[in-house]
Amino acid sequence: MIYRKTLLLAVAFVLVLGSLPLAAQDDQINMTMWVRSIPFQTQAMVDEWNANNDSQIELTIIPSAEFVTKMGAAIAAGEPPDIASIDLIYTPAFAAAGQLVDITDFVKELPYADTLTPAHMELGRYEGRNYAVPTGVDGSFIVYNIDLFEQAGLDPDNPPSTWGEMLDAMRAIDALGDDIYGYWFSMNCAGCNAFTFLPFIWASGGDVLSDDYSEATITSDPIVRDALAFYNTIWEEGLVPEGASIDNGSNFVSAFTGGNIGMAGMGNFAIPLFTNDHPDLNFDVFHIPGKEGGAASFGGGDVIAIASGSEHVEEAWRFIEWTMSDEAQIEIYAANGQIPVRLELVNNPYFEGDERQLTAASALAVGFTPYTTVYNDLFNDPNGPWLEMLQIAILDGDIDGALELGQERFTQIMEG
Amino acid sequence: MQLTLLNLSWEQRRKLTGLLFVMPTVAFVTVFFIIPLLMTIFMSFHDWPLFGERAYTGLENYQDLSKDRQYLKSLDFTFRYTALVTPPIFILGFILASLVRHNIRYIGIFRTIFFLPVVIGLGVSSLLWTWMLDDRIGVFNKILLDLNLVPKAQLFLGRPSTAMNVIILSVVWKTVGFTMILLLAGLQAIPDELYESAEVDGAGYFRKLIYITLPLMRRFIALALILSVIGSVLSFDQFYIMTRGGPRNSTISIVFWIFNNSFTYFKMGYGAAMSIVLLGILVALTGLQLYVLREKE
Repeated sequence: MIYRKTLLLAVAFVLVLGSLPLAAQDDQINMTMWVRSIPFQTQAMVDEWNANNDSQIELTIIPSAEFVTKMGAAIAAGEPPDIASIDLIYTPAFAAAGQLVDITDFVKELPYADTLTPAHMELGRYEGRNYAVPTGVDGSFIVYNIDLFEQAGLDPDNPPSTWGEMLDAMRAIDALGDDIYGYWFSMNCAGCNAFTFLPFIWASGGDVLSDDYSEATITSDPIVRDALAFYNTIWEEGLVPEGASIDNGSNFVSAFTGGNIGMAGMGNFAIPLFTNDHPDLNFDVFHIPGKEGGAASFGGGDVIAIASGSEHVEEAWRFIEWTMSDEAQIEIYAANGQIPVRLELVNNPYFEGDERQLTAASALAVGFTPYTTVYNDLFNDPNGPWLEMLQIAILDGDIDGALELGQERFTQIMEG
Repeated sequence: MQLTLLNLSWEQRRKLTGLLFVMPTVAFVTVFFIIPLLMTIFMSFHDWPLFGERAYTGLENYQDLSKDRQYLKSLDFTFRYTALVTPPIFILGFILASLVRHNIRYIGIFRTIFFLPVVIGLGVSSLLWTWMLDDRIGVFNKILLDLNLVPKAQLFLGRPSTAMNVIILSVVWKTVGFTMILLLAGLQAIPDELYESAEVDGAGYFRKLIYITLPLMRRFIALALILSVIGSVLSFDQFYIMTRGGPRNSTISIVFWIFNNSFTYFKMGYGAAMSIVLLGILVALTGLQLYVLREKE
């Protein structure tokens, strides 16, 4: 009898205990957030937020190449995340399909709205309304290994400023040894090469799309052919490791950290990795040059948006607004080497005296971002025409065939 | 309930019982095949984005198919792949089945070993092979390099010339056990007396094979062939995981292209139209196989 009473008490006790956290959870706002696998300081942001707020965010990292597919499937299934950190390039497509919350009224209230990076704000706009704000700024440029430059008798203070000078530098570095290479590209990664190869074309005054994005100019613009021939020479002469031809982007950043690569296309996001994890790596950066000079950069990175259907729009915006605050931008972003999304904060105590950060940040001034709703189908899709064209031209050497194929498939996609 | 059943005639009860027995299957097929099939047909006549507005477009999706260079390339690739992967699976499957046919001691161990790859998922096996074929840490390159058979590590999955072959190798390893089991059942169904009397008549191995084994296994071969061909035509995982359709988009199977259009380019209607055409092709192909391998009266 006594046993039974004890047992009942114990059961009641467990039930009461068990229901306590449940009751507490009911009041708490739990939000989900997705980010592609790019090493911005998103995790640090979310951790800091979760530590200091009642509302909690669960961050999921999605492989970059699958982000659009997964996001599309989640939206179609009616279960998108509340907050999404999206490659800025995709925002027009998602906004056009009505899948993002109109945040124009929120953005108007921001005192610093005018200093947010213009490329990101532009891509986050659709038909005059704001759907996203910048959260990760990432221009492309070339990193180079100062030690290898010096060993090869090159002047590290005067990095190459034309394609010809780049080739000469690669050949000099490549000659240093069997395991030393002049350059690195990830030739099985579509997005990597939109980011680091397109600017070679832009800096020379060319483009693969017409100014109004209505047609492809792959066969009509001679610069495209020249740029493909430039990369083809790099491959033919063995100035990149053979493995570069099949790298799907997993070595896009890490290849350069081995210390045996002279130069590589890179973005701001990689600088904190280099400085924090590879303090011995002696590197500097220069702008992606055109054929005979000039400079260009791909204005890349992420914007942050609220997905349609989120039940926590107000709270999600509170988080987004906080990510752009001085506190978050300087103490989390700049302190970790990441460029702030508000241009006036580039001059901060953490960047002072670091020429590399300032040069990298200035790449954004020559940064350009295509605005098209079919960007993924054209450029980033691993089976899209961009990568196929590059591989056929650069690795197989069939430049004419590649140009024709690229023009045809680009046109087909752009015509819908 | 019991009363009403009792009032039924024997014949009526028999029919009712039969109906009740097939009901679960009918329900299952309706929910998981008939309804999705009808929906797919319906979708194929629409411009049906994954999200957003949809619109009726009639036969436009089907007309676009003929202009889709990659669709034709994928069809060509898929059937080339099927033609290349089927013979090794059958020949090897038959050899393995012959080896483990007789019930001798410990034969179960070998049957299990040969069948084991079948029970792991195709996705897992594809990842396994991707790493085994890797140029830096893969075991194949290690062996080839140590034996001095190749001058440097080979990028098996990176070359159009080798990518298809190594994928076929991995798929044969993965699926041959299943074909072996089907053929084994066929082999064991043949009475030993037939072989004994053939031997008395002086028939050698190949005569027995051609006049006894193969004809009597016709049904089992037909079943294994149809399952194998359907599996190959619908293949997706190995290409998605091992090559992502590369190099130079040379390994995009037809289902891969349907997946891409539906979920990456968000063109569900177009994907549906491709699926319907593929269904038609498969029905025709299976019909042809059944006709060729039919039991002659």
